[in-house]
Amino acid sequence: MISCVTFRNAFAPGTESAEVLQHVRVCDACLDHAAGIDPDIMFRALGGENLVPPGGVDAFVDDVMREVRLRSTEQTLAGRRGMLLSWPRRIAVAATLAAGLSGALMVWQHDKNGVAVPSAMTARSAAIPTRLTTKPVIESYDSANATIVEVPSEANDTKIVMIFDESLPADL
Amino acid sequence: MAAELRLMIPTQEPVEPDDRQLVQTIRQGDTEAFELLVRRKTSKVYALCYRIIGNAEDAKDISQLVFIKLWENLEKYDPQYAFDTWLYRMVTNVAIDFMRNKQSRDNAVNSNLRLVKTSFDAEQGVVVQRKEVENVFNEVATVLSPKQKTIFVMNQMDDMPSSEIAKVLGCRESTVRNHLFNARKLMQQQLQKRFPEYARLWSER
Repeated sequence: MISCVTFRNAFAPGTESAEVLQHVRVCDACLDHAAGIDPDIMFRALGGENLVPPGGVDAFVDDVMREVRLRSTEQTLAGRRGMLLSWPRRIAVAATLAAGLSGALMVWQHDKNGVAVPSAMTARSAAIPTRLTTKPVIESYDSANATIVEVPSEANDTKIVMIFDESLPADL
Repeated sequence: MAAELRLMIPTQEPVEPDDRQLVQTIRQGDTEAFELLVRRKTSKVYALCYRIIGNAEDAKDISQLVFIKLWENLEKYDPQYAFDTWLYRMVTNVAIDFMRNKQSRDNAVNSNLRLVKTSFDAEQGVVVQRKEVENVFNEVATVLSPKQKTIFVMNQMDDMPSSEIAKVLGCRESTVRNHLFNARKLMQQQLQKRFPEYARLWSER
């Protein structure tokens, strides 16, 4: 920095010299002197570079970096969320949900409207004759009270005859 | 002999990367490089904000906002232009926006600006006290529009030439000179009204 003597010799109204301005920004005595010659120097003497934010530069930088890191993390997470649920995946999930819901709705409506259906089905199934045996029937004889069925035995020589007679005692 | 040899061996001091190199590194995701850039520019950014806004806490908040915007918009920086010009444009835009919003808030509540009592003593001649000048500036500059104040601050306090201010604000140099002329005129009027002792000093050139 230039000395006070150099400053006072070099100072002229409207100066743009960086050295002169730097001096006037740190030396109160020379500012008083210069303001008498060029009042415009008054506000210029305030300068602009020697100011520090409240709390100091370190705390300021820490605050900024904390916010920047927070935003970066948020952006990364948002990116990942975007990748997990890309548009085709979102559409697929929506379609699955829609299909599930409509299916559930149809079943519910079916259950609600079709209370008579089971009884009808029961009646229909009652009309179908009960099959008594899975073996092929060779011959059967029906009367008013009894039914006689001939079926093949395991061996070919014997035939089993089953008689179903409702008039006979149960313990016969 | 050994001392002579030592003198002959060039010392390898780490060379600090310039702003453009730093930006390049930051774009590759290096947050430490960004921290270095913030540290390097804090004083400049804060000082400009403080001069424009006139309040330390608001200036700090706005400066932090500027750096966060810088981080988010660094991709938009074109390295063929000076980094400081681009940074200053961001600072002025954010600060001017803040001032405009603040003005509208102030108008809404019709707040009265407090007059700063100066310790000027006419008998003792002109005693310029730095803090006092700062208070006077903050008072009289309230009549300036945010843009006028920004231009005045950049020109008078940051020693920025009109051509550079025009680049920062994206306007013509003649517009900058016009704003400067009007700013000086308005401040002169305010000085005469509020601080006549300073008005005698600060004559219109």
